[in-house]
Amino acid sequence: MTAAAKIKTWYLVHKWTSLVSTLFLLVICITGLPLVFHHEIEDLLSDGKPVAELPAGTPNAPLDRLVAKAQALYPTEFVDYVYLDDDEPQAYVGMVPKLGDGINSGHAVRLDARTAEVLEDGPTYASDRFSFMGIMLALHTDLYAGLAGELFLGLMGLLFVVAIVSGVVLYGPFMKKLEFGTVRASRSTRVKWLDLHNLLGIVTLVWAFVVGFTGAINELSTPLFRLWQSSEMPALLAPYQGKPIPTELASPQLAMENALAAVPGRELTSMSYPGNAYGSPHHFVAWLRGDTPLTSQLHTPVLIDAVTGQVAKVAQMPWYLTALEVSRPLHFGDYAGMPLQILWALLDLATIVVLGSGLYLWIARRRANDARIAELVRRHQAAGEPQRSPA
Amino acid sequence: MSPPSRLEGEYRSAQGRFLFVWGMPLLLAALSIFGLLAALLGTGVWHWASWIALAWLLVVIARYWIRPRER
Repeated sequence: MTAAAKIKTWYLVHKWTSLVSTLFLLVICITGLPLVFHHEIEDLLSDGKPVAELPAGTPNAPLDRLVAKAQALYPTEFVDYVYLDDDEPQAYVGMVPKLGDGINSGHAVRLDARTAEVLEDGPTYASDRFSFMGIMLALHTDLYAGLAGELFLGLMGLLFVVAIVSGVVLYGPFMKKLEFGTVRASRSTRVKWLDLHNLLGIVTLVWAFVVGFTGAINELSTPLFRLWQSSEMPALLAPYQGKPIPTELASPQLAMENALAAVPGRELTSMSYPGNAYGSPHHFVAWLRGDTPLTSQLHTPVLIDAVTGQVAKVAQMPWYLTALEVSRPLHFGDYAGMPLQILWALLDLATIVVLGSGLYLWIARRRANDARIAELVRRHQAAGEPQRSPA
Repeated sequence: MSPPSRLEGEYRSAQGRFLFVWGMPLLLAALSIFGLLAALLGTGVWHWASWIALAWLLVVIARYWIRPRER
């Protein structure tokens, strides 16, 4: 392909991947703004109580006590999971009216992890989907269409990544004679916004690429977990064949202690109960995290026989779940305090400007844009020199 | 009249032309990667390094947006 034809091809790639994905990405970027601060906003909107003021280092209550408190509120229901918040000393006990139905009918009780006092009796996840943050999350992740919506928005994320790559390729010929950061503000509005589109696009390139790509990976979390369960579980579940999900369970505190003893130097993030959608029908699954900045993002699942409380297996995370776990902080921007969250929001705003200006450039002056490409092509043909590919 | 422009691209060496277009983008890309990883792999001072590195991107945007560099 000649240099001119290459530019034309990359321009078409950039135009079409952008056009198809831009409206969805604008929705994703705008809903992403409150989601960056979801912890803070949820605290603000919550009508529950805050955790008690206790000296640092006050030990947690045994899991049995936390679970018993939640169970007392819902005596006929089943425990789905226990999750220990790593930001605040509080625990969430997930409850389900019917075993294995957590996604539809589940809800969680929030407790002070040290005193086991009930702080908030949360709504069902299904009704929470229509709270302010629930709407933001649905528009950001699945458009209320479940797995199909997740895969669709994941695909939009991949188109965004292709748009970024093709945009970088076009940056080369566009900027051949323009110094970095040139904004021809005194020329037409279109030229000014073309320059700003190029400037903001190239400056936010790596951030947008990483957040876009890790976002697409996050949209695959449901099938990736299913894949792991189907490869890990059959051998472990063979001895239990034909048995129902047990309801007379071992002490969760004992299960946690056995899991921690099996993998020293770890902490419990959460424990799935038998029948949990991301667990096993016959085991507690203790999700243990490490104690360094990176390994605190990575979990080792320990399977514990739900009736005896003994460790059945320390499972290995396959590479694709490790990739998923690393891509979470890199997408959420929640791994270095409030300053990083603010930077995430500002870089998100910059991306909104890139998307909006891209759309404007296409709508307002389609013809002028095409003429500019024709001009670049003509110039390359006239120069007759081989164009080094910048990619 | 403006002083002789530094950007007579065509007369420069291939390396000069490459750096003229890609020098700053490569620098900012390296800064971004450092900023994203520093906070993921370290704590304390590495968090500060990460905040500064990523904030620098916004400073660059503001610098050229507010006071455009004309051709």
